[in-house]
Amino acid sequence: MKKFILHITVNGDSHVLRIDPNLRLIDLLRDQLRLTGTKEGCGIGECGACTVLLDGQAVNSCLVLAGQCEGREITTIEGITPENGLNPLQKAFIEHGAVQCGFCTPGMILSAQALIDHNPDPTEAEIRTAISGNLCRCTGYMQIIEAVQAVVNGAKNKL
Amino acid sequence: MIPFNLVRVESLKEALDFLSLNGKDTKIIAGGTDLMVELRDIAPNEKGPDTVLDITPVKGLKGIEDNGETITIGALTTHHEIKTSPIILQFARLLAEACSTIGATQHRNIATIGGNIINGSPAADSVPALIALNAEVVFQSTAGKRISFLKDIYIKPYRTDIQPNEILTSIRFPRLPENARSAYIKLGRRNALAISRMNVAVVLIFQEGKIIEARISPGSTTPTPDRITPAEKILIDREPSEKLFQEAGAAVSEEMIRLSGRRWSTPYKEPVIAALTARALRKAVGMGL
Repeated sequence: MKKFILHITVNGDSHVLRIDPNLRLIDLLRDQLRLTGTKEGCGIGECGACTVLLDGQAVNSCLVLAGQCEGREITTIEGITPENGLNPLQKAFIEHGAVQCGFCTPGMILSAQALIDHNPDPTEAEIRTAISGNLCRCTGYMQIIEAVQAVVNGAKNKL
Repeated sequence: MIPFNLVRVESLKEALDFLSLNGKDTKIIAGGTDLMVELRDIAPNEKGPDTVLDITPVKGLKGIEDNGETITIGALTTHHEIKTSPIILQFARLLAEACSTIGATQHRNIATIGGNIINGSPAADSVPALIALNAEVVFQSTAGKRISFLKDIYIKPYRTDIQPNEILTSIRFPRLPENARSAYIKLGRRNALAISRMNVAVVLIFQEGKIIEARISPGSTTPTPDRITPAEKILIDREPSEKLFQEAGAAVSEEMIRLSGRRWSTPYKEPVIAALTARALRKAVGMGL
């Protein structure tokens, strides 16, 4: 295989990397950049645990070749976690019991974050659609939806 | 993951030149939501493609245009872009409905309509909607352009007549007229993140309260996707009614059995496709599901 030279920005940091052409984005993030917040639940795009933001849009990183991200920006869960503390969604997830085993959580939060970034006042139906690609085997989803709604309402109350 | 080289191209010309030399050992990647699963399934001792050709940077293969009569969609347009397009919502609403059911948000953000067509799954969601729109597809190669009706490109499940040196570049269909009503219904094991168990797209065109044209295209039903003419004929010159729609649904079932024979899935599919068709027809005219 001919090595591929990749220029990619991850969580605001620019990287130039020599990679194998068949490297998946999830493996670039977890193995090469040691950003292990992104989880592999199925490897075939059917669970959403590997969700990251590609230029602000939620994608399954197990279905993207790292090489396809040339010149683009990736945001992982680490990228939206403040230096000391938690961001509003993370806090709300904990407060509302939306985290049990935690395996779906990074992907779930990124899907919710992408929604709020594009649509600051989503309906419940829109929240459900936004997280419809993230499976959770523990919570039954209600706590997750309530956590997202709490953040949406909290942000609205601040205006 | 099996080894392969990755080549990214920025222009259609580069892509076609590459394919004219290497098409047979090359797989094209766009959204990757089908191909990555396929590549992952290739065993280490099996032969995979030598090269994966990433055409996502190619300009001119994205976008939705409306010239007042014909709508043209670039093959690299994503399902998210289609489901939110004002043009599609106004003049081909059933396609927006169909594309909105594909996978989940993460898939729709990168998966393309071209990929959905060429992957050739019998369960592809956009295909019945496009066939009900009488869509044509445009293939390009270094030898020129080739245009086909979408329903004619399917040879068998997962196989279209696309040649190794060709790329599907665009899809086009006439706008639906003012007096058209359309609907798409998908049946899956979940409400999201599900493959179609079956689906159906319908278009009805009215004049003075009567149906003057009907198009019915079910997915995961016939050996290759198509319109079901015997069912469509039943609707012509008639006014919508529950009974009429059930007759049309039954005709779709009969045609399915005529084309595919009675199989292990028939006891399930026979009543269900009839019901889905009737449901889609009711949805199209606003009769309630």
